[in-house]
Amino acid sequence: MLGGLLAAGAAGLPGLMQRGIAEEIRKRGKQVCFIWLDGGISQFESWDPKPDSPFAGPFRSIPTSVPGVHVSELMPHTAKLMDRISVVRSMSTKDPSHSTGVARVQRGDPVNRGVDYPFLGSAMAKLLGAPDNGLPPYISIKPGNGGFIWQEAGFLGAKYGALALGDGKPPIHIRRPEDLTAETDAARNTLRRLADARFKSARRESEVDAWESSFSNAEKLMARKELFDETRLRPEDVQRYGTHPLGRHLLLARHLLEAGVQFVKVTSFHWDSHGDHFNTARQMVPSIDQPFAALVTDLEASGLLDHVVVVMMSEFGRTPAINSRLGRDHWPDAWSLAITGGGIGRGRIIGKTTDDGAWVAESPFDVGHLFHTIFSAVGVDPKKAKYRNQGQPLPIAHDECGPITGLLA
Amino acid sequence: MADAPTFDSAKAHLAPEPLAHNRQLFRARYSFDGALIAAAGVDKRIHVWEEATRRHYTLPGHATWVACLIFHPAEARLFTADYNGAVHAWDAIKEGSPPLFTITADRDNTRALAITPDGAHLLSGGDDTVVRMWDAKSGGAVREMRGHAGPVFSIAVHPDGKHLVSGDLFGRVIQWDLSSGKIVREFDAKALHTRKEDFIADVGGVRCMTFNPDGSVLALGGLSEAESNAFCPGKPLVLVYDWASGAKKTELRYGFKSDGPVNGLRFLQDGVLAGWGEHLNAPTQLVFWKLDAPEPFHKVAADSAYDLDLHPDGTRLLAPVFKALGPGGNGARKEHREKYVAPGALLTVCNLFAEAPKPPK
Repeated sequence: MLGGLLAAGAAGLPGLMQRGIAEEIRKRGKQVCFIWLDGGISQFESWDPKPDSPFAGPFRSIPTSVPGVHVSELMPHTAKLMDRISVVRSMSTKDPSHSTGVARVQRGDPVNRGVDYPFLGSAMAKLLGAPDNGLPPYISIKPGNGGFIWQEAGFLGAKYGALALGDGKPPIHIRRPEDLTAETDAARNTLRRLADARFKSARRESEVDAWESSFSNAEKLMARKELFDETRLRPEDVQRYGTHPLGRHLLLARHLLEAGVQFVKVTSFHWDSHGDHFNTARQMVPSIDQPFAALVTDLEASGLLDHVVVVMMSEFGRTPAINSRLGRDHWPDAWSLAITGGGIGRGRIIGKTTDDGAWVAESPFDVGHLFHTIFSAVGVDPKKAKYRNQGQPLPIAHDECGPITGLLA
Repeated sequence: MADAPTFDSAKAHLAPEPLAHNRQLFRARYSFDGALIAAAGVDKRIHVWEEATRRHYTLPGHATWVACLIFHPAEARLFTADYNGAVHAWDAIKEGSPPLFTITADRDNTRALAITPDGAHLLSGGDDTVVRMWDAKSGGAVREMRGHAGPVFSIAVHPDGKHLVSGDLFGRVIQWDLSSGKIVREFDAKALHTRKEDFIADVGGVRCMTFNPDGSVLALGGLSEAESNAFCPGKPLVLVYDWASGAKKTELRYGFKSDGPVNGLRFLQDGVLAGWGEHLNAPTQLVFWKLDAPEPFHKVAADSAYDLDLHPDGTRLLAPVFKALGPGGNGARKEHREKYVAPGALLTVCNLFAEAPKPPK
């Protein structure tokens, strides 16, 4: 219902319809859209161009809707709505490696307490509680295979894991076979639960939790299969977001957010441009600029942007120095991310890099600060809220950090 | 007076003491008489050296990276093009002087320039996919040639002066009739392009092309079988075509592990083809092929190169080569902050004759 209303609202119907949508939206809890550009988008070719730096690439910097703020020419759509997003240009983290950096950043780089902290989506599922809308709280849209990624839940337990939609496709077998009646299907599931309970009695809880959560989430989506019905997509939306995977996946993310999914992660791989960076950046950066701008525009038009925190980031940025293959390597020392939505101020540029773009000049922030900020934006006080792991209280975010106050609305 | 050394491509070796610059250079070319070397890259300026004296001076340059440059075939006139699409014409021997004229040759990056053998027409190609012909004396527009669906990466004029060949990102190679601007035929170089299902960018393209002196053979260079669009590792590949029939004569490979594209090709006076390119994880070599064998018969260890030119006298090759000047690779580098500088370049010369014997100790 709400998805339909939102589609109509986004199409521009004013007045009563908009107020009806607003009423629906007010009833919602906070949501998050987490866009993960795996491998590391270059800050020089996106949010923090330094055209006069010895490390500059060949692309122009262009003005944005925020006076005095420029971004790369590869982001023309986002430049026009810069007043509706904020950018942190002074992220400074420690890990130059993907293998450890991805998990560390998506876990908020907590102090090592000998346990695996949850990824952000699992943390939100735990801290906000699953909404009562019959949808999985944490859906991950990614290239390649789907499945249930229980590992992201860390010590919280498998039930807080991510339901992954491989290439944005629903879990296989989401549609009940036509020759299987609803009654037979229910009986079949009852039998499965009994078997699970017996199996669970003699095994570690997490193994069975993972399977139960997987079935549970698939069941929830079976009831909402219209979310994946591509015939319902408006052709103009498909064009605005782009027909490439990032475009399709961010359009699906919008539909899932409209339907009420609490945390939607969209992952794009292959941003690790060690070779031929400037030829690939010319293609890759526009491929996120277009759908990101469309998503922010649509969420704002429907009123959802006041309830959804949208974050776009990587595990680090890319080196100022250009290597022998005309690539940029990993650079955690100074990089940028974009954030907007509920609880987040808009049109703000936080932090500053040196004139050559290599180092943070003002206000360095680690990912712990970002997690404090996101938790604060969704109404969870990271100074008060605690996890409990086997009775042990654990901070939900790096306890030596605090929120990036300049970002909070 | 000592005798001139005897040409022998099998004895090719790097000359000592290359010219150096503290910023990366992507293109380097000899002037028509071999007296000057011009080079350009990330610092936006045009660098000119007198080869005999090594005297260096600059021309004012561009607003962004210089993507390519080419000398006039009979005058000290130099044409340079940048990532914003601007092409400047210069009097290469007038230090610091402004451009003779400027043209906008592309909406974005002008990646390739060529000039007809009589010096009358300049050709350009780039990201907006259009190949354009210009009056080389005035900069006036002569003709637009449309047929590519992707960025034009390289162009070359046939020695007969009547035809042009252009190659794009997708490995489409078009032969144009220069007098009419019409497409004559196409060559299939799709092997130089890769887009796997999980890629988020196209990789490769026809990175370089050259004719042998009589125009009977066309060689195209680039990268095949790219494994990802991130590191862009793949297999360097050269495709060789018979010009008369259009048939592919052979494919030339490095024959040992290498992972970057071939960026420069030149035919030598003995019919040998020289090629040089990039590497990231594997050693780069300047290699020499005889066209009757797919693997090189001679190779010279070297660093990554982005272009390749042959001196007019045929005795040496020139390439702008990567040179690290500080700590590179993945950060964090805060502890090396003072030493962290942008890389530089060496203008490396490869002599095509036997190395002079070392004097006795």
